Amino acid sequence: MSYDTVIELRKLIRHYQMGDETVRALDGVDLNIERGEYVSIVGPSGSGKTTLFNLIGGLDKPTEGNVFIDGVDISQLDAYELAWIRCRKIGYIFQSFNLIQVLSALENVALPTVFAGTPNSEGIKKASKLLEMVGLKDRIHHRPGELSAGQQQRVAIARALANDPAIILADEPTGNLDLNTGMEIIDLLHGLNKSQGLTLVAATHDTKMIKASDRIVWMRDGQIERMERS
Amino acid sequence: MVHFSLMDAYRLGVGHIRRRFQRTAINVASIALANSFLTSLALTDLFYQTYSILEGGGLGIDAYQYWLVTVALVVSVVGITNAMLIAVYERTREIGTMKCIGALDQHILILFLVEAVIQGAAGGVIGYLLGVLAALFSAGFTTGFDIIIKVDALELVTYFAGTTALSITLSILASLYPAWRASKLPPVEALRYEL
Repeated sequence: MSYDTVIELRKLIRHYQMGDETVRALDGVDLNIERGEYVSIVGPSGSGKTTLFNLIGGLDKPTEGNVFIDGVDISQLDAYELAWIRCRKIGYIFQSFNLIQVLSALENVALPTVFAGTPNSEGIKKASKLLEMVGLKDRIHHRPGELSAGQQQRVAIARALANDPAIILADEPTGNLDLNTGMEIIDLLHGLNKSQGLTLVAATHDTKMIKASDRIVWMRDGQIERMERS
Repeated sequence: MVHFSLMDAYRLGVGHIRRRFQRTAINVASIALANSFLTSLALTDLFYQTYSILEGGGLGIDAYQYWLVTVALVVSVVGITNAMLIAVYERTREIGTMKCIGALDQHILILFLVEAVIQGAAGGVIGYLLGVLAALFSAGFTTGFDIIIKVDALELVTYFAGTTALSITLSILASLYPAWRASKLPPVEALRYEL
């Protein structure tokens, strides 16, 4: 398999102003992530993981430096273009699932396709295929409240894949799950990464998740402390 | 170009309304009450006029009552704005999530406005029906209850269309500011928001 760079971070700096104090959330981060790679971002809280995620995910803009996604410098994009990137290029998985409570599993998964302007019938077809893939074929009409935590996270994973993104960003995806369910979610994500060549970037404390990854990036005080291939 | 069909917004809107039925019911009731007041005044006037033409006499509605109606409509608008703002706070995380998975500001705006239209239409129709009953009750003892079949049916339909349109318009007006605020929420802060 030939590798090419899908995420490139160059001298990335993000400072926040909190009153008189400047918080150096990110302080010069350089990182390349190859297509199909599975990278774990590890570090104590306040080390800049979430800020890094927000910048890669096009939710926030850097104070200085560049974020290239598939060769496009997203720090130069306007709000409309950023929404486009979030919609097509990036799939998000959250610690607390963040499903829309009033919608069924199927509608939740189809929602990104709605935002992408895919015709309704196509979106629904895609969504049911994805739900089948994550093993929820018989739960597609259930609301999030009627599903277990593990099942909700599976729905969220299916939703993240709805627009065939290049990158999956997972922020503590096993943080709200018990050990066994967490393992299932890790296996599912790892399987998708291997079988579909999805680039997976995960912030985590979960040693099992870290073990499954190709590379571990340790962060501290807004900088990359060290990197490790496993 | 990003499309977002009204049908999708409608389905989402209906989902929210079902889920948060109480608040929706309060909004609808507020519109319905204001509209029933308006309708009852207008129709009482219509009934009196019809009666005057048929039987003679100079019955009518005092002008100051229209001031009261205006006040009622304003109160209803303020109430809806308030309830919609609370709805925006409640859904902050959800709005953040939607933006995170690719929703544009305009999508969020449409979502809230579609809900406003549904509420306005429901309140308008209910209010009209209540208003007809109220007008019959207030004019009927003088004019006879059969006045309802003596009046020009086209007038009744016109009032129905007019007051329903007004209810929808007021509901949209009341929701514009909350919907705009929702659409402008920055996704990062919205995602972090805990109620």
